[in-house]
Amino acid sequence: MRVSGSGPGSMRLRLLLTLAALWLSDANEPGTAMTTRDINQQTRESISDYTVKGHDLSTPGSHLSTQDFNQQTEENISNLTSAMYSISIDGFSSAPVEENVTLYSPANITLLCNLTRTSTDSATVEVTWKKDNERVESRNVTINEIKNVWSTQYTLKIRDRNQMGNYTCVFKSDQEVQATFHLQVPQIDGKEHHIVSYVGDSVVLVCKSLKYIPINWIWYMSNGSDQVAVNDSLMPDKYIVDEKYANITKLKILNISEKDDTSYWCQAVFKLGESKGKVSLKVLTYMTPLKPFLAIAAEVIILVAIVFLYEMYSKKKQMHAEDEKEFEQIEQLKSEDNNGVENSTTRHRKV
Amino acid sequence: MSPPANTHLAYTPPDGGWGWAVVFGAFISIGFSYAFPKAIAIFFKEIQDFFGTSYSEIAWVSSIMLATTYGGGPISSILVNRFGSRPVVIFGGLLCGIGMISAAFCTSILQLYICVGVISGFGLALNLQPSVIIIGKYFLKRRPIANGLAMAGSPVMLSTLAPLNQFLFDNFGWRGSFFILGAILLNCCVAGALFRPIGMAADPVQKQTVKQAEKTVKEQPNNSSVEMVPPRAVSLLSGTEEEEEDKDCCEKFNKYLDFSLFKHRGFLIYLIGNVLMFLGFFAPIVFLAPYAKHLGIDEYSAAFLLSILAIVDMIARPTTGIIANSKWVRPKIQYFFSFSIAFNGACHLLCPLATGYTGLVIYSVFFGLAFGMVCAMLFETLMDLVGAARFTSAVGLVTIVECCTILLGPPIGGTLIDTFGDYKYMFIKCGAVMVLAGTFLFIMNYYNYRMLAKEERERKVTEETVKDNKHIRTETEDGNIWAKEKMQDGPEVEPLTDEKEGLKKEVNGKSEV
Repeated sequence: MRVSGSGPGSMRLRLLLTLAALWLSDANEPGTAMTTRDINQQTRESISDYTVKGHDLSTPGSHLSTQDFNQQTEENISNLTSAMYSISIDGFSSAPVEENVTLYSPANITLLCNLTRTSTDSATVEVTWKKDNERVESRNVTINEIKNVWSTQYTLKIRDRNQMGNYTCVFKSDQEVQATFHLQVPQIDGKEHHIVSYVGDSVVLVCKSLKYIPINWIWYMSNGSDQVAVNDSLMPDKYIVDEKYANITKLKILNISEKDDTSYWCQAVFKLGESKGKVSLKVLTYMTPLKPFLAIAAEVIILVAIVFLYEMYSKKKQMHAEDEKEFEQIEQLKSEDNNGVENSTTRHRKV
Repeated sequence: MSPPANTHLAYTPPDGGWGWAVVFGAFISIGFSYAFPKAIAIFFKEIQDFFGTSYSEIAWVSSIMLATTYGGGPISSILVNRFGSRPVVIFGGLLCGIGMISAAFCTSILQLYICVGVISGFGLALNLQPSVIIIGKYFLKRRPIANGLAMAGSPVMLSTLAPLNQFLFDNFGWRGSFFILGAILLNCCVAGALFRPIGMAADPVQKQTVKQAEKTVKEQPNNSSVEMVPPRAVSLLSGTEEEEEDKDCCEKFNKYLDFSLFKHRGFLIYLIGNVLMFLGFFAPIVFLAPYAKHLGIDEYSAAFLLSILAIVDMIARPTTGIIANSKWVRPKIQYFFSFSIAFNGACHLLCPLATGYTGLVIYSVFFGLAFGMVCAMLFETLMDLVGAARFTSAVGLVTIVECCTILLGPPIGGTLIDTFGDYKYMFIKCGAVMVLAGTFLFIMNYYNYRMLAKEERERKVTEETVKDNKHIRTETEDGNIWAKEKMQDGPEVEPLTDEKEGLKKEVNGKSEV
């Protein structure tokens, strides 16, 4: 649902209208607060590619309405964005499901777990939520059951890195089944294969984060088991960090020596945490490619020599054969010639 | 079945024997020349990061290399006319090696242009032309097969070089890889060593004639022997120097690079047809993988399409050579060539109909087949039209003219894609251009064959009248029969038999008297 237009007055009106349309009450558990649901929006930075499954939560007697969750609006109702992520579990016997949720900036998150149960399962189910294997309070948890689907929602406000982690919803009756949301900052891809460079040469290590723009980049190099920050201001003729674009960082290492043969980490700093990418550098001396080079050059010289020698040998054989043939021909002609001369002289004599 | 009798060679090509070693050498040489500029693209990403340039600046390396390989054609032809194939190829191999080795130590993109683009490119030019030329010198009856086998070097080398380059890059970085590739390119020198010279200079028949002339001079002590030292033998001994004095400078230059070819009807037909064809020849290969990705196919499957193309190409080239050598096709090989060009064009025209991966696979198979057919006969048809003696200059002139259209083809295709946002116009343009070229060649070669047949008839008539005249002369004259028989030596296929006949006639003549 795309909402367009501008101006604070029209915004408020639209807000009221949408809130009215999306009013939802949880009438199953008396005593739980009704949660207002915000419109699902998608930030321009496109936080997730998840499709939200809308669901019917109509129970008799409650004011509920169907909701359509659409992630295409560009409007921010408050300064924070909201998003919903859901997992569907297919019965108690399925394996634990995991989902990665990439969060770029503070937001209001709703995590939804749906469990489809069969008729043979018992009617009572205990639902709990855990963060990093610790139970959380049920203040922000709602539980519903419609027909054969148990669903539970957990709303949380992500403000800083403390709220990031793994959130697990657990359904327990006779058996137990769970699903986990991994809330994490955007991952940085380094390079799987090492970059090769040579002593005395320079090299450029590149890290990219194309979809999400980090606040800052920090480079580390591994020193044994530690990671030491690479300080380009301290050693300007060794390290140069190029930050022409905010989402690409380039570390140029000059005058490489064997000590530089380690792994380098580019750390992208986001509002909600950091993530690292690994680029490893391999340093070779010029002797290393020299060996295959000399081997191939030697092979070339040997083959050329063989070809020329074979040619000289076969030419000699050919000349031998030619001389013999010529010799034979001359002999033949001489004998013919002699015969001819004799014939002509005899003829002369005859005449 | 006899091929068009315009080889103008003074000897019989062996059609086998050492010729197959020459084909192997040409296989390697041609393979490197065509495959190397494409295979080197694997290093571009890393070099781009290293020098901090844009992708188009890096892509110039390949373009400069290709341009120099084709543009260096005439120089290559001149050198081959002067020195023969072997020294030129060996020098070319050394040049390639030196170019790549110096590229390993480059510190700027401009130096890379010069080392990889110009020096190595020129070295490859000195490899490509002589390899094609020497096949024409060693083969006549089986020339299409030899050409097909030699041209198969290109896809085979590309399939080998691409993974090899990746392996070298992973283990040695781009500098080390260039260094080692320099050594690998030196293998072109091995190919060059196999190109044993053949032709008038080393012809054993001519040597025999000279030796016999010397012997007869010794055997006949009378004064007339001085006159009888056959002028022909003298000219053979002194070689081309006498001929050079007679000609003026224009003809002398023509000896190195035969510009009179531009008056040759067959050459002009070939040139115009091929220039037209190359406008649409290479663009589909360049854009096949991006088109596949545009249709939503993943990167590895898109790359696999190119592998299918290369494999079909590899098989198609020698097969086309064998077909072209058969007695039904060889006399009318130009029609077969025009058909394969038009077939290629038809494939491109039908490509927009392929919307899924299966459709693209079928297109790749047919494209590979058509591409191989055209490439296998590319030089064979030129040899067929101008003859092996003038082929040296012809190939140089053709490549430098084609150079422009080859370089223009992919950018024009790219512009079409960018303007319309759709790949199908590029395919339609390539297909249309090639169908047009094929039709043009078909019609013009029909005309050419008819003219050739007419000229052949006229030549036969004049030959017979000349023979009759000679026959009368030999019967009436005496004494200088020996000299006359010697002067009959010309562009004949079997001078040795004539020699024997000459000797026999001389003997018989004496006996009759």
